[in-house]
Amino acid sequence: MKFYLSFRSSEKTIAIITFGLVLALPFALAFNPYYLSIFISALILGSVSLAWNLLAGGCGQVSFGHAAFFGIGAYASALLVMKAGWNPFLAMVVAAMIGVIGALIIGIPAFRLRGPYFALSILGFAEVMKLLTLNLTSLTEGSKGIFNISSLPPIRLGGMALEFYYSRTTNYYFAAALMFAIYLVIYFFRHSNTGLAMSAVHGDEETAAGIGVPVFRTKVTALIVSAFCTALIGAFYTHYVHFLSPDSAFDGYWSVMPIVASLFGGIGTLIGPSIGALVITGLDEFLFKRFFETGHKLFFGLLLAIVIVWAPVGLLGKWMEKK
Amino acid sequence: MLEGVNYALFCLGLAFVFGIMRIINMAHGEFLVLGGYIAYWLLVMWGINPLLSLPLAAAFAAGASFLSYRVFIQRIRTTTELNTLILTYGIGIFLSNLFLQLWTADLRSIGVHWMESPLKIAGIYISLGEIITVTISFLGVLTLHSFLRRTKMGKAIRITAIDRDAAALAGINVEKIDLLAFSIGGLLAGLGGPLLGMLSFVSPVTGIHITVKAFILTVLAGVGSIPGLVAAGIILGVGEAVTVTFVSSSYRELFGFVLFVFILLVRPSGLFGKRI
Repeated sequence: MKFYLSFRSSEKTIAIITFGLVLALPFALAFNPYYLSIFISALILGSVSLAWNLLAGGCGQVSFGHAAFFGIGAYASALLVMKAGWNPFLAMVVAAMIGVIGALIIGIPAFRLRGPYFALSILGFAEVMKLLTLNLTSLTEGSKGIFNISSLPPIRLGGMALEFYYSRTTNYYFAAALMFAIYLVIYFFRHSNTGLAMSAVHGDEETAAGIGVPVFRTKVTALIVSAFCTALIGAFYTHYVHFLSPDSAFDGYWSVMPIVASLFGGIGTLIGPSIGALVITGLDEFLFKRFFETGHKLFFGLLLAIVIVWAPVGLLGKWMEKK
Repeated sequence: MLEGVNYALFCLGLAFVFGIMRIINMAHGEFLVLGGYIAYWLLVMWGINPLLSLPLAAAFAAGASFLSYRVFIQRIRTTTELNTLILTYGIGIFLSNLFLQLWTADLRSIGVHWMESPLKIAGIYISLGEIITVTISFLGVLTLHSFLRRTKMGKAIRITAIDRDAAALAGINVEKIDLLAFSIGGLLAGLGGPLLGMLSFVSPVTGIHITVKAFILTVLAGVGSIPGLVAAGIILGVGEAVTVTFVSSSYRELFGFVLFVFILLVRPSGLFGKRI
């Protein structure tokens, strides 16, 4: 199974086509706010999936709790803006750094062991973070949630102001830009020395350690980058939806869906997860929810099982392998 | 403290499968909840005593895990660990959303009157239900332990766990052993479900909490140590009770996690396990 020989020119072409389609999509949807909001969440999911896949596809580490970083980013940014009165853009970046602190707290003990320890401890970590936000009511308002979180301030480009509060379109393109930025970060990270070390760790940890790759440090670095990106997106999310509660910020959705999206798109590829996110959000919205109103996520469980057994490189990965 | 013994039963299936097959069954909690729902359903539909539906619930969960092993897990058994993790996680998501669709998100509790009648033992009041569940849990742990130690099949399972290739060379059908072990894991989970329903409640999201707790206990006890599991269960049960009494009931779940991180840092092989 060739998980990590993915930097082929064909993939770059696919990435460019994908971002081209993302830019053109609003025109196809005639800027309908409802459809735009669906695809904004698809882009948010796509970014989280890219970050998730840096660990899984790059390093061979599965995280079942990326909701932890998403929620930390969302809450940190919301609190910095609402309680300390910071500029939302600055708050987003600082929130992402707070996400990194979370990554260190969980990564350092869990990566000391090989095997499933990391995957499960991060699941517990997400639960604990949710518990803390629920109970530290003086800081986070607990289960009531935080209302009326201010949106990002308008960006002035020449004479034109890009308004975030009213315009879905601005939010859409900002989310797309964020996804592109995260793609670039991950692209260059995977091509750096640490990225090569990650591939070695993924291939065979013992051999990697044998030739002098610092396995522990490589894993922690990958987690830090992944957590930074995820928390950044969480912070954007908070300013986009204006409302935050422990249930929405630490929702299992942010842990489960990146896995589904990445597997669907192909965890051996770089751009696959974001394509997967766009496709499955569409499928979910227009197909699955028609069948099962409440339990529509059961399709994702099934999809996950089927993809991992019969096409572990993902559907896109499979298609690229054939070429 | 009594609750700790129940914890041991809730976690037994996961610890067993992990110890034998080196697979973390992420759907473990969902199999357990499945057993709980079966017992609940039998009680509501036909008024069947949950203790009588215990074997049926266990059989259902065992059947579900048998099927998931045959259809999915067997095919990727020998690939990377990552794959089986994601696969069982997917099965868990499928099951929990199926529960959501079939039984809604309400908390279902299996309540029977006679279970709540208090008994006074050595000056402490304990409900009859608690005594019964603890007895069943204890018996479950004991049975599994002696099954592994005393029977030929148990011996075969243990050998497979120690060295797969050697076991295959000695004429043991390791594929069959895997299937059996995974089904036993499901059986044990299904046994725990009705007990959980009697003590508190089951809901579609209970499953994943159970899986996490089961993993924490497995690590705490040390992989492969069944008696250790009971001790670890009691430690966790007491610790949670102390947290509830002296800190706050909302921080109850925190105790297990802090303990878990501490164990990973200080003694990753667990309290009763061999050094990894």
